[in-house]
Amino acid sequence: MNDPLLIAVIIRILLVLILGTAVLVITQRSLRSLFTIYSIQSLLLALLALVLYWQEGIFSLLLISLLTLVSKAIVIPLFLRRLLRKIPIKRDLEFRYLTPISSILVSIGLLFGVYRLFYKLSDELNFEPLFLLGTVIGVSLALMGMMVIFSRRKVITKTVGYLTMENGVLLFGLFVAELPFIIEVLILVDLLMILVLASLLAFGIDSTIESFHERLRNFGMEAEE
Amino acid sequence: MAENIIWISGIPALLSSGLVLLVSRCFKRAGNHHYSLLAIIQAVIYMGLSIWMASLNRPVELSGNGYFYMDTLAVFEILITAALFLLAAIYSRGYIDSLLKQEEIEESLLPVFYGSFCLLETVLIMGFLSNNLALLWIFIELSTIFSAVLIVTLKARENITAALKYVFVASTSMLFTFMGIIILFSLSQEAISGGSLNWNSLMENAAGFNQSAFNVAFILMLIGFGAKSGMVPFHTWMPQAYAKAPSAVSVMYGPVLNLGLFAIIRLFSISHQTGGTGLVSTTLLSIGTLTIGVAAFSLLARTNTKKVIAFSAIEQTGLALVGMGLASPLAFFWVVFNQLAQPFIKALLFFSAGIWHRQYLSNKISAVIQPMSHQPLASIGLIAGIAAAAGTPLLPVFLVKFNILSVLAEKPLLFFVVLVLFMVVAAGMGYYFLKAFSQKGGAEIGQFKTPLSMKLPIIVCMVIILILGVHVPSWLTDIINTICAELGMCA
Repeated sequence: MNDPLLIAVIIRILLVLILGTAVLVITQRSLRSLFTIYSIQSLLLALLALVLYWQEGIFSLLLISLLTLVSKAIVIPLFLRRLLRKIPIKRDLEFRYLTPISSILVSIGLLFGVYRLFYKLSDELNFEPLFLLGTVIGVSLALMGMMVIFSRRKVITKTVGYLTMENGVLLFGLFVAELPFIIEVLILVDLLMILVLASLLAFGIDSTIESFHERLRNFGMEAEE
Repeated sequence: MAENIIWISGIPALLSSGLVLLVSRCFKRAGNHHYSLLAIIQAVIYMGLSIWMASLNRPVELSGNGYFYMDTLAVFEILITAALFLLAAIYSRGYIDSLLKQEEIEESLLPVFYGSFCLLETVLIMGFLSNNLALLWIFIELSTIFSAVLIVTLKARENITAALKYVFVASTSMLFTFMGIIILFSLSQEAISGGSLNWNSLMENAAGFNQSAFNVAFILMLIGFGAKSGMVPFHTWMPQAYAKAPSAVSVMYGPVLNLGLFAIIRLFSISHQTGGTGLVSTTLLSIGTLTIGVAAFSLLARTNTKKVIAFSAIEQTGLALVGMGLASPLAFFWVVFNQLAQPFIKALLFFSAGIWHRQYLSNKISAVIQPMSHQPLASIGLIAGIAAAAGTPLLPVFLVKFNILSVLAEKPLLFFVVLVLFMVVAAGMGYYFLKAFSQKGGAEIGQFKTPLSMKLPIIVCMVIILILGVHVPSWLTDIINTICAELGMCA
């Protein structure tokens, strides 16, 4: 199992699958499916961290893998589903500036642009080819997430875009340099706080100001009904 | 004793926000005055703490892992933040009373408002004490969260939109900053064993960094930190957030903006140590000029008093970026001075605009009629604040603009462009307020009785601005010189 070639192939497959989930995030209209795709994307990311741990033996990679699995593949999608039950929308059909097809075309352009930039930089940062690929897909995933934020109208879809972007940054971090684990945990806490706030505001946009304030009073954690 | 500062700094806010929560749950009759008293007590404690910090030896690491660090710049920023929070806490006593009377805020939301208010101060102070850039990133993110919560406590749907815009623009930009931080960490691994994100270690080892990779990291980090300070094109959240937030909260955006600029100052000083500031300087000069330009032309067509102040704050960021980009000790001195002058000017403007808002129940210029007779102190505050922000002689920003322009004179074209833009800024702000003060007619309206708690902060800000403009005390010059020396920015 410790065959470096096999590990490299697995990493490549996982990276391509992650890129595939990003394309689905851009095009998907049903909110439930969006959450599932995000969950799968996070699961692939957790697997990738696990494979990298296998290859390099750095313990913090194992912890990052577990943290990603629990928080992003399970807890956050569950939280989003729970929120979806409280707001009246189920699908996000509106696109601004970019349609799904043009978004994919722009994404391809972005991928090449990012590749060119990091190819130049790879000598200075001593990247191996596989690490260059990981970095490029990480940055592209972040940019594709940003495109979702700009091109979608509904706040909840924007939130998934933000989460995808954050996954891209995590992927980028996995290949460039792992930060101290305590910092990774703090960043996750920060992400969760932003998620709670964004979903609270998403609820506010689609409800009356009174019920929004009712939730705000209880820090968005209210179990009413 | 210094190693306990971090714990001591966290306790007041945790205590007061805990007390706010406890009071709201246990004492149903608790009102604005009880909560605001807690906020004032916390602000007084922080003021005392910051004075105590100023008396300690610096620079010093505050934790074993070097994640927290106290140098003169950090203490300088903390003193400004503590003073402004104290003024804002006093102001909010009367201001929130008036919002409650007009039913613009619900009484049941006061605990959320004051809890976030108290925590925002701690987050900012912790941010200024952060030596680790990733930790600084986290505190800046947290400041976004608490600021956004403060915006949505008001009973208006537009506030939710403003808060959403703030959260998405700031957080999205901050993710780019995070990529820059990762690249910087990777760079540091070549110069420091195991790598480090601690600013003081990065400063010591900056000479060994790869210049072009550092430039990429710097530009990525500039995106998020710049977005927090209103840098174009990531400034879009600012006018709406400033205009929609309660005035007592808008005042606190001064220190929030300072925190963004503080991060850029820290990064720029590392860049200075790498020995090649060429690309970084050019980037700062171009984005700074663009920021001043966008602010200047946006000021020409405004109809909302608080948006005028927001664009003036954006112009301030542009000015600071241009000052840094010049990479000259003189310009840098005035950039640091501006960190002190601008938040007080903006505070004066927001405190005064808040009174106008209570008087006319609108921030729109069309609602303002005979302000001098209705609210003389607030009107004088606005005139003084606008004159100061525009760069009128004998007021502090004049010194900043004059000295930065004198250094900029080495680049004649840029000098000319920036000078013209400063004039457009002054014209835009001047025209707006001339119009506001000369409007006639309208139905007779009753006078809003401004409580002393809302007048006092205006008077304090005016006195500070006048003193800073007329004479920069020698002790202040010494402090700023020490900051420049500690950042390695002296010649």
